[in-house]
Amino acid sequence: MVECPSCGRRQEPHLTCASCAAPLGVELDCFEALSLPKRLAIEDEALERVYHDLSRRIHPDRYAQAPAGSRDASMRSTALLTRSYRTLRDPVSRGLYWLELRGQKLSDDNKSVPPEIADMVFEVQEQLAESREAKREHRAESADLAAGLEDRRVVLQTAMNGYQTALRGNFVMWDMDRQSQQELISELKLILSNIAYLRTLMRDVDHGLVELKAA
Amino acid sequence: MPAILGIDLGTTNSLIAVMDHSSPRVIADQATANKDSAATLLPSVVAIAPDGSVETGRRAVEMEPHLTVEKNGAVSAVGFPGAEHGAVIRSVKRYMGLGGAEIAPEDRARYTFADLSGPVVRFQVGHRIFTPPQISAEILKALKHRAERALGESVDRVVITVPAYFNDGQRQATKDAGRLAGLEVVRLVNEPTAASLAYGLGKMAEGKVAVYDFGGGTFDISILNIKEGIFEVLATNGDTHLGGDDIDNAVVDWLLTGLPDELRRERRVWNSARAAAENAKKILTDKAEAEIALELPGGRTIGKTLSRAQLEEIARPFVARTLERCAMALADAKLAAADIDAVVLVGGSTRMPIVRRDVAAAFGREPLCSIDPDQVVALGAAVQAGVLMGTQGDMLLLDVVPLSLGIETMGGVMERLVHRNTTIPTSVTEKFTTAVDNQTHVDIHVVQGEREMAADCRSLARFKLGPIEPQPAGLARVAVTFLIDANGILNVSARDERTGREHSVDVKPSYGLSEEEIERMLEESIDLGEQDLERRMLIVARNDADQILAALHKQLSEYHNLIDRSERARIEELMSRLEAARVGEDRQLIAGLVEELNDQSTPFAERIMDAAIKHALEKKSVEQVS
Repeated sequence: MVECPSCGRRQEPHLTCASCAAPLGVELDCFEALSLPKRLAIEDEALERVYHDLSRRIHPDRYAQAPAGSRDASMRSTALLTRSYRTLRDPVSRGLYWLELRGQKLSDDNKSVPPEIADMVFEVQEQLAESREAKREHRAESADLAAGLEDRRVVLQTAMNGYQTALRGNFVMWDMDRQSQQELISELKLILSNIAYLRTLMRDVDHGLVELKAA
Repeated sequence: MPAILGIDLGTTNSLIAVMDHSSPRVIADQATANKDSAATLLPSVVAIAPDGSVETGRRAVEMEPHLTVEKNGAVSAVGFPGAEHGAVIRSVKRYMGLGGAEIAPEDRARYTFADLSGPVVRFQVGHRIFTPPQISAEILKALKHRAERALGESVDRVVITVPAYFNDGQRQATKDAGRLAGLEVVRLVNEPTAASLAYGLGKMAEGKVAVYDFGGGTFDISILNIKEGIFEVLATNGDTHLGGDDIDNAVVDWLLTGLPDELRRERRVWNSARAAAENAKKILTDKAEAEIALELPGGRTIGKTLSRAQLEEIARPFVARTLERCAMALADAKLAAADIDAVVLVGGSTRMPIVRRDVAAAFGREPLCSIDPDQVVALGAAVQAGVLMGTQGDMLLLDVVPLSLGIETMGGVMERLVHRNTTIPTSVTEKFTTAVDNQTHVDIHVVQGEREMAADCRSLARFKLGPIEPQPAGLARVAVTFLIDANGILNVSARDERTGREHSVDVKPSYGLSEEEIERMLEESIDLGEQDLERRMLIVARNDADQILAALHKQLSEYHNLIDRSERARIEELMSRLEAARVGEDRQLIAGLVEELNDQSTPFAERIMDAAIKHALEKKSVEQVS
């Protein structure tokens, strides 16, 4: 039970007070903060609408003239709301957070390269090594190498889009299928670790491109 | 509740604005006869005389050491000759919240400093020492007085705008300046976001909006999503040391090319050249060429013609730097230039044709500039004040933190806790533990910036967690919450996970003034006794009385032939009544008599004016004949 800093009523923890609608300033999980069911599939527009609507009601700008206790609660609740929105808006971080709520972490079994993208990882590393060497030896083929990296980036982006689509598609399925919790978790982990690897690769390629252009 | 006002505390000029019903308006200086928009700009210039008395705005500009040409053709120096006699400080914003080591070389050379090594730069003026927030406070006080005079009520609460790219220390320094000016700073708002509020109020810009803010000293770019009254900042970028001043300085370099170094470094020569450069830049907004004539001591003259093409050549690298920042902001917002629905121009430097052209080319669309670029930020600050007062209905601003915030970890690596462009207010809780048995304190170093190593980022604050009960290593758990408030300023709190007890956290800012220093400055503040509005209005009324009495005494003796006996008797009777009232405390009586005397003497003043014009014309015709 918590006490509303604005009207003093005792109640279960929520984002806003059941009696005076002022923010309570208490910690909640991301789904609770946005009054959403704990499901993986969330429609982007609906999420933004909820976030904007709640922001309008609890933001510190609405409590600028209120007593210090209410002002402080407004600041804390808005910080929570914003953090929750950012976490759930991105499908990848939403998936990771969903796992976290179930005590699962990606890093536990993310040591080895996922087999699906192992070939790609190897090729990218070769390309990057080649361009580093060319730079060190001041060779003139940097334009070709840059073009190669640009192409590679497009391939990585396409793969990424594929995984992201798969992730969103599966969200809907996973939400419906409540039977095989364990299977769901390992499937989700697999896609998320592929995405995490792809992100690192894309960052490395971008970095390599910047280096080549600077040379 | 009395109104909250909006202040644009600019590098070059400052303004104050108020909400009039549901539209914002800037408040002009009533003391000047100048009724154009220039009367709304208070030059951000502060002059401090040896006795500690302070002038701001245009009067301070007049006291700046510069060269002037006398009627007989001789060039003489006016203004304070040097720091030992007094100082005129402009662009103080460039020094706000920075430690001595962070001050750019050209800014170091400009003034005399008492301290360039500590966490706060200190200006030396005679035997006195001033910090940047104290100087800024003088500008804020002048704006406060101006607004109180115009509105006839006390102004105590304000919204102040800051560059979006200001770091924590620069924001804190701005808040300190407000406090030193006797103002409650209800909110700091980012300048480009404020501008978007002014445009958004009239629904002049909606959807994905880019605000390009190129001012006197700073550059900001903010990308917003404006939708149904929600102004959500998606990304912001900028350079707090890139502005029209830099272009002026580059023109000065061009202007003074070939002169001996000691002359170039001469403060009066430099100031005069800077004024000439600024003027030429303004002329070239509409014209293709500007003539610059600069008189130097010893009878030398520089006469040069600056063409618009030359100016653009000088300005191009600076404009290119702003466009790089725009590209970074777009990338952070995950948008392409083509996704932008509207581009808004803010800041005096966007008057330059090259800026308009290059921005239009970069975004592929004509930018909007229908609201005066010098006023739009102050107008937006007033709109935000309206939001805070609850009079702006559904409007809401969701701004971001411009720079990542993190802590120094093992090996000096920066661990990012809050990423740049995170919506504020935001908070993150991090758990700390002890590394050795019976450790009673944990030292934490908070830094801000985008680099990998903490040493390459800007130190924000240090604090000590504890005292922690002596326990084996790793057993103690302290949860530290880093909260960035709606002003973009960090607040830290800590809680013992086991006992649930709140730890007191004594955060020691790496830069800026300590609480004790601010308290002391407030105590020392000379015009603290003047805080009372009624008292200040009385002083204003007495000054007005002195002015009109002195003018009339002089006119009555010089132009006695232009006034008849009964008119003279009537005026003299009012004058003696005003002289009596002036020593009293009744402000209303003094103000009423000043007004009456003004009315009664107007016909006399008009006759004097007519005579003067006639005399001048006669003299001219005589000269023409001879």
